[in-house]
Amino acid sequence: MAEKKIIKTTCKSCHGGCGVLVEVTDGVITHIEGNPDSTTRGTMCAKGLSSIQHIDNPYRIKHPYKRVGEKGEGKWKQISWDEALDTIAAKIKEASEKYGPWTVATSQGTGRGYNRYTHRFSRSMGSANVISPGYICHSPRIGLYGLITGYGRLYCDYHGWGGVFPKTQISWAKQLEISSADSELCNWYIKSLDYCKNLIIVDPRATAYTSRATLWLQIRPGTDAALALGMINIIIQEGLWDKEFVENWTYGFEELKKRAAEYPVDKVSEITWIPKEKIIQAARLFAQDTPGVIQIGSSLERQANCGQTLRAIINLLGITGNIERPGSMVSWVLPETGLIEDVFNEIPLTDEMRSHIYGGKEFKMGAARTCNPDTIIRDFNKGEKPIRVWISVGGQQIVHLASTKPVVEGLKKVDFLVQVDLFWGPMAEMADIVLPAAHWLEMDDIYDMHPRFMIEAHNKCVDPPGEAKSDAWIFNEIGRRVAPEYWFKDVETLLDHELRKAPTTWKKFSEKTISGCFGPDQVYYKYKTDYWRKGGGFPTPTGKMELYSTVLENLGYDPLPFFEEPGESPNSTPDLAREYPLVLTTGFRSPFYFLAQYRNIPWLRTFMEYPTMQINPKTAKELGIEDGDFVWIESPRGKIIQKARLFPGIDPRVVAATANWFYPEAPAQGFRGVFISNPNVLTNADHQDPMYGSPDLTCLICKVYKCKPEELKDPKFGDIFTKEHGGKPWAW
Amino acid sequence: MRWGMVVNLIKCTRCHACIAACRIEHFLPMGMNWPRLIAWETDVPGEELTTIPVRCNQCKDAPCVEVCPAEATKKREDGIVYVDNDICVGCRYCIIACPYQNRTFLSRDKDPGYFPGYERTRFEKAGRKIYPHTVGTTEKCDFCMERIDAGLAKGLVPGKDREATPACVNTCQARALTFGDLDDPESEVSKLIKEKNAFQLHPEYGTDPSVYYIDGKIGNAPSNIAPREEQTASHMQHLSTMEERAKQIFGKK
Repeated sequence: MAEKKIIKTTCKSCHGGCGVLVEVTDGVITHIEGNPDSTTRGTMCAKGLSSIQHIDNPYRIKHPYKRVGEKGEGKWKQISWDEALDTIAAKIKEASEKYGPWTVATSQGTGRGYNRYTHRFSRSMGSANVISPGYICHSPRIGLYGLITGYGRLYCDYHGWGGVFPKTQISWAKQLEISSADSELCNWYIKSLDYCKNLIIVDPRATAYTSRATLWLQIRPGTDAALALGMINIIIQEGLWDKEFVENWTYGFEELKKRAAEYPVDKVSEITWIPKEKIIQAARLFAQDTPGVIQIGSSLERQANCGQTLRAIINLLGITGNIERPGSMVSWVLPETGLIEDVFNEIPLTDEMRSHIYGGKEFKMGAARTCNPDTIIRDFNKGEKPIRVWISVGGQQIVHLASTKPVVEGLKKVDFLVQVDLFWGPMAEMADIVLPAAHWLEMDDIYDMHPRFMIEAHNKCVDPPGEAKSDAWIFNEIGRRVAPEYWFKDVETLLDHELRKAPTTWKKFSEKTISGCFGPDQVYYKYKTDYWRKGGGFPTPTGKMELYSTVLENLGYDPLPFFEEPGESPNSTPDLAREYPLVLTTGFRSPFYFLAQYRNIPWLRTFMEYPTMQINPKTAKELGIEDGDFVWIESPRGKIIQKARLFPGIDPRVVAATANWFYPEAPAQGFRGVFISNPNVLTNADHQDPMYGSPDLTCLICKVYKCKPEELKDPKFGDIFTKEHGGKPWAW
Repeated sequence: MRWGMVVNLIKCTRCHACIAACRIEHFLPMGMNWPRLIAWETDVPGEELTTIPVRCNQCKDAPCVEVCPAEATKKREDGIVYVDNDICVGCRYCIIACPYQNRTFLSRDKDPGYFPGYERTRFEKAGRKIYPHTVGTTEKCDFCMERIDAGLAKGLVPGKDREATPACVNTCQARALTFGDLDDPESEVSKLIKEKNAFQLHPEYGTDPSVYYIDGKIGNAPSNIAPREEQTASHMQHLSTMEERAKQIFGKK
């Protein structure tokens, strides 16, 4: 009789959070589906379901390896865990003693629940140089929510716990319907739309919802700050702002009014390419049909005007009073386990650690607790050695950092680089030691993407392949060797420590799989109570929501938001735009890939075999491009190949490229095809946001032309573009 | 009783989860897709992008049943059209007969394993026993009839109870798929068809599909008041370990 059991766990195939039921028969996973008794009501996406193809995937890294050839040569020797861990610990100690602990950097991919470990690990060694993609994804939002409202976590109230759902929703540069990102889950958003009167979408391209929304603002990439300021101006000019909230709870309205007046609707329409009637309608709907929310996408944080764009949008929320009321933007009361980030906050940053944050002097807001990777790469390429030891977990900095060529050159100069990963990718090919990671189906851990109202459990369903280990185990084992006072005897003790405030233990929590603060236990209108401040108010220097930021003023930045053209655009660089006439945006969401992941999962690769760029049929016709053609996209930094998709839902002056693309099937030489199709070959790391250092990744200019058939046969591409069906797992 | 499905084109996000859920439910070989998504993109303002999820329509007058020389494609009393792969001779007449192109022939080259050249994964091997596929026969969506039958045997209601409902319907994050009995005027599908002017794809083919579609706009919700069960979060309250403490600390006084 087959032994069959159902294990309750939590998916993190994207940022994650969906409840999952895994059926295990005689030690083999035979079924995966959503858990109906979870906040996502039994639903799951293609990425999560296809997780089954991580199990027994022959391309997984199964053992620790050390490099025996040159970087990128793909020559490796299998080593034991002890040898790997002892070598890493010795390198860290050596660098720390000789050059200072800040020369040891810890990097991670996007937030996958291991944020707390990377930070704790780094701080336990005495370094604040955490390299994270946060500065182009969510950190600026958290930082600026914090700056303006005093509390750094504003989320859309999609739940109805306060009695109402949002009446007007703006989805700004976001496709939450196909991604559970930034602490929101797609299922919550979609459900809330059943109660929505107006859905306004700001996106340069048509999406599933643009055709069905109340209003679609098809914006020129990189001009979002102008739109937000223009909407603020209309709302103020027409007297539609929330007078009670603005008068009692905000600071600097008059100054904002004056600043916004510099953005009359005609000018904004000219900048953003959005018809002015639509801008006016959007402003009126958002101000009048309250409560409302704005879901902000990370594309806005991949622009050199990121800080000001976000501030303008947050101010738009402020003047319409959409803060802390039911159905608006809310900062959640945390679960009983408290702030999961206390796992690293309990090791405070010292002044010395802070003073060695790379890029900290220049990008003051970004340096709150992470360094600026572009600055590090620049320093390496200047011949300096800012980092001696680089411990990289899960991320592909080589793929996501702007301007791939200098990034690869810079990374080659790192003395000692460790990559912890599931699969061989470009970053692993750059490493000196590669460690095998466990998949979420193979690990016990606590799920918490960012502090929200709940935490969940990842429960181990099957053993990892070979000698692969969970992230928590790997951090704990290296930690025990270099800073034993901060680490634990085993993973279970570490997890117990993370849950101690509840108080509960990992064993108990793992059975429950979720702990949260739901429904009537949530608290709205915190600023009207003693919650943040005795007598009411926001936890800011002025006690109010700061439309005019006193903190930024003190840091030497403009206290009011403004619009600035992208580093390269038809307006900011008209001469360059004659050669590169199309606006290029990159990084739109794909429902079956997550950032740089899953090109090696056959079921998912069937959905999009090659990176796809969208181009308007009119533009394509002028350029002689047909649907399905391979095309070159070229910028002053280089050129890449993507497959053209003729798409009427994009402006004829704009093209959109699939971001973060490398070819896991490509040979190690050339770093798994990182230069072939990745739009970051085209981006420029020198146009950076003054507050956060975020470069222009989603708004630049390019030219597009057809790729000649013989160019696809170039030996440097291997058989990527020529392979016959049947040869590779992703050939369908 | 006639099982049917309503696809809400307003809600479908082109996420492909229905396809993935079907693959996992039926241990589908690499080259097989029972449900598919048709991408519809135009330059007509307001109709830029539509995704039309399609699967076997389980037609009332199914041409595939009529043309099958081996009588391998059968229609059940509850309207489900299925293929008996033990009888199918692989002539593929049904593929030609289906005007909706919702049938696929499982040829050897569509079944090379998930990772050709490597050993089949344990999931694949288990699947060969739990849900065998016969190379050289035709396959298609059968509304997860095994789930429906097993669910009914337990007294469950397909479309309402998860265990008795097709896998794609269960997994849809957008809740774009609704399943139920077309013959029951009180079922969710019947009500949607009536109230939302549902339509069938290509009615001119005259096959009377059991899959219906509705379309329209998001928004214009009559009210944003949350129903009581949402306000109390009763559906998830039992999961919480927080209620009592939350009340002590933050309870509204």
